[in-house]
Amino acid sequence: MADALMLNVVLFLPVAGIVYTTLADERRPDAVRSVSFALMLAQFALTAWLYFRFDAADPGLQFATKLPWIPDWGVSYLIGLDGYNVLLVLLTAFLGPIVVAGSWTAITKDVRLFHAMVFLIQFAMLGTFVAQDLFLFYLFWELMLVPMFLLIGIWGGERRIYATIKFVLYTAFGSILMLAAMIYLVWSLKTTTGVTSFAFADLYGAGLKPSAQTWLFAAFALSFAIKVPIVPLHTWLPDAHVEAPTAGSVILAGVLLKMGTYGFMKLGFPLFPDAAREATLLVMVFGVISIVYGACLALVQTDIKKIIAYSSISHLGYAMLGLASLDLIGIQGAVMQMVSHGLTAAGLFLMVGMIYERCHSRNLADYGGLAKLLPVYSVFFMVLTLAAIGLPTTSGFTGEFLALLGTFRTAWQAHLAGHDAMLWLAGIAVTGVVLGALYMLWFAQRFLFGATRAPHAEHLTDLSAREVGILVALVVAVFWLGLFPDEPMRKTELAAKQYQQLVGGARAVAALPATEPRR
Amino acid sequence: MNVQTIVVSMLPEHLLLGGLCLVLVLDIAGRPARTSFALALATVIAATVAAAVLATSGYAAATFLGHLSVSPATSAGKAIVLLLAVPVLMLSRDEFRDAQFPLLVLASLYGACLVISADSFLTLLLGLETLSLPVYVLVLLAMQREDSPEAALKYLVLGGAATGMLLMGASLLFGWSGTLATETFARALDAPSALARAGVGLVLCAFFLKAAVFPFHAWAPDAYQGGSVPATAYMATIVKATVLLAVVRLFGSAQLTVAMTALVAVPPLVSIVWGNVTAMRQPSFRRMIAYSSIAHAGFLFFALLGAAEGRFQAIAFYLAAYGLMSLVAFAALPRDGEDVVDDRIDSLKGLFQRRPYAAVTLAIAMLSLAGIPPLPGFVAKFLVFRNVMAAGHTELAVLGLVGSYLGLYFYLRVIQYMFMSAPAEGAGRATLRRHAFAASLVCLVPVALLTVFPGWVLGMLRG
Repeated sequence: MADALMLNVVLFLPVAGIVYTTLADERRPDAVRSVSFALMLAQFALTAWLYFRFDAADPGLQFATKLPWIPDWGVSYLIGLDGYNVLLVLLTAFLGPIVVAGSWTAITKDVRLFHAMVFLIQFAMLGTFVAQDLFLFYLFWELMLVPMFLLIGIWGGERRIYATIKFVLYTAFGSILMLAAMIYLVWSLKTTTGVTSFAFADLYGAGLKPSAQTWLFAAFALSFAIKVPIVPLHTWLPDAHVEAPTAGSVILAGVLLKMGTYGFMKLGFPLFPDAAREATLLVMVFGVISIVYGACLALVQTDIKKIIAYSSISHLGYAMLGLASLDLIGIQGAVMQMVSHGLTAAGLFLMVGMIYERCHSRNLADYGGLAKLLPVYSVFFMVLTLAAIGLPTTSGFTGEFLALLGTFRTAWQAHLAGHDAMLWLAGIAVTGVVLGALYMLWFAQRFLFGATRAPHAEHLTDLSAREVGILVALVVAVFWLGLFPDEPMRKTELAAKQYQQLVGGARAVAALPATEPRR
Repeated sequence: MNVQTIVVSMLPEHLLLGGLCLVLVLDIAGRPARTSFALALATVIAATVAAAVLATSGYAAATFLGHLSVSPATSAGKAIVLLLAVPVLMLSRDEFRDAQFPLLVLASLYGACLVISADSFLTLLLGLETLSLPVYVLVLLAMQREDSPEAALKYLVLGGAATGMLLMGASLLFGWSGTLATETFARALDAPSALARAGVGLVLCAFFLKAAVFPFHAWAPDAYQGGSVPATAYMATIVKATVLLAVVRLFGSAQLTVAMTALVAVPPLVSIVWGNVTAMRQPSFRRMIAYSSIAHAGFLFFALLGAAEGRFQAIAFYLAAYGLMSLVAFAALPRDGEDVVDDRIDSLKGLFQRRPYAAVTLAIAMLSLAGIPPLPGFVAKFLVFRNVMAAGHTELAVLGLVGSYLGLYFYLRVIQYMFMSAPAEGAGRATLRRHAFAASLVCLVPVALLTVFPGWVLGMLRG
């Protein structure tokens, strides 16, 4: 009971932050920053406490609260932690204080509104993860749009209006279709079983006709695919990332994009298992396209932020691949990849923000030899780069390797059943690893090494204690997931199994058209 | 029909009438306008409370058999309409220094209450005219604008056309059924007779015109822009709410036939799309709100496609959410310079820097009108589309939702101007208008209720 209350406290702490920022004094920005940071830190501490109390052996909902909210429609305020969301909630809470600390000097305009918006998006993101009721989920899902719209639009770069409107219009289009599908889903649950409910647990057993499943899956999948984003629905992402302030990029890359993959895992696939099994190959194709195409685009960018933005598309392709493989290892890998990308991309965007604050340029050609000018900066940058590539001992390796391994295991089964398409896809996906190393290392080489040059090079100062603190926290987390992945993975294992069971993983291969089995 | 029933069941109307007479007397006696204003406000609040008490106590009576009856649903409808009138009156205080505005509003509200309770076309017509005539004057009252007379005339002529159509439709229905009772409308919906169909069509068109539904919408932008802010607010919220409540009562428990589905679905659907698309390009805030209200009228009529039991609940909730949020928006509008200048969307630029409270409330209103959760506008839209889909019109619901998506852009544009643009040259740091501030607070309390406890409110409106 007390634990359940604690989860509510974690969820509503950002609301307290919004109230505080409304009442605070704009003329004392440091007070606003400090209190916001303290609140975020408290939130992370409580979340970490919940995380360690999370029982890996319990497949059900933990720390759950259920209150009737709109009884006429079967909507309830139902939140709780399970294997699906526990790591992502921890990630979100972990990035909270980092976002506030990372914007300490960068944000000087409308400081109160900025922190209010950071709190609001924190509230919406945590709510989306912990919601176990579709209506509640949608509420938080849409609520994320508003603070992000303002974060990019007010504190962004030159083309911020274009970028932010594009972001909202893209994501809202997916949401509208998801809303239609959601209404239809709940209504058909009522007609088939007589139960009026929005709870995920009830909806999993809706027992829809395959024809209806296809449409509903398409609507949900489109909405999630825009958020991930999967090529060709990705074009909002580079603009949003480039124009967003550092905090916006960190939130976007760190958590917001995971909403898409989490949505696929929690809702898209398990709600419509028949349609999802039919679509696994298609999802894999798009996953592989995202991996390779994202990597190729990252290779040719001249804007530092764009390189990392496109690398996000590529990295989340692995998560999609792992989810679509329906293999236990692959699913676990997908979850690890989500968390790992949340850490590395957030770190890299923070570091780009730090150099931008000093040099006011995002053009890669302006830089070179930073290793000599900013040695501490360069060490951290290199560590995060290697983690993003997936060097063993870092979190990136755990995620990418497991996701690919799972894909190969499924592909091999398919191969034995006489289907080679998956094996080819898995093979192409591996080239993405090479490409990933190529563009990141080439980027690091041009950025950190070679001839020394940077705009305003004479005034450059290395990282401050605040910046080092932020990066140390991130690097520790990266190595924790890389060296001891066992602990977090045990907590997600039962959820991965449940996901596999709901979608019918054993039949993933069987869903392929029958052919002569191979010897 | 005894005296006690008449006194109790029409208590809100009596209070309005009493207040109206008192305000008139006070005005003639030369008392300051402040007294009249306070009295009118007290009257409307008392009438709201009376209607709310009647609604919650489940009081039902046929006051004048066959002409006027009261049920919990009608009382709830009256309570919503009267509640919306409270902030409108407060808004007017900033603009009108004499007793004209409160007088006209009280008279018009009396008509609104008649319309909501009407059981016969006679009462309905009487109520509609009592509702509309003061509004023509309200639009004219803003004579500082050059286009006010033109707007008022347009509104008058088209209002007359609506009355004509309603009369014609009612007489056709009378010819078909031999009675003036409004329930013939519901019976005529699935009648095979051409007379009945023509009657239904004309009556429906009259209401489309009154509520500004495509293709009868063209008067709205001019009238909204021509009127001053409180007059526009009155038209956008109270007139629209009354008309919709009358329509939902007319439809009663009738199920729609296929042919009727087309008539009820297509104009509102086009309204949604047309209103939202046209609103994108409006340079005037009030014109934009007019097109947005055309789209919202579309959503409201869309609710008629749902099953009969849920219609009142959906429309009443939608009206409350839409009305309150529009009023919050009107209260937040800057009124520093000339009315014509302030009406430009450009004048909102950098509003957050100048008046943070106004900017934040206006942003909340825009997001709610756009249907972004968790604001009440979302629950209202959700309710409408849920009912439409449950009635089996999946394709129509999807089209309507996509239409609502189109509206997102221009609502966001307002927020963009307020938060992301620098203030225009010479825009001062305006002082907050006391009455507008109070009006927005009065709206935000029920808005908070609708946001946090929508389930409770929906339970109250179950009808």
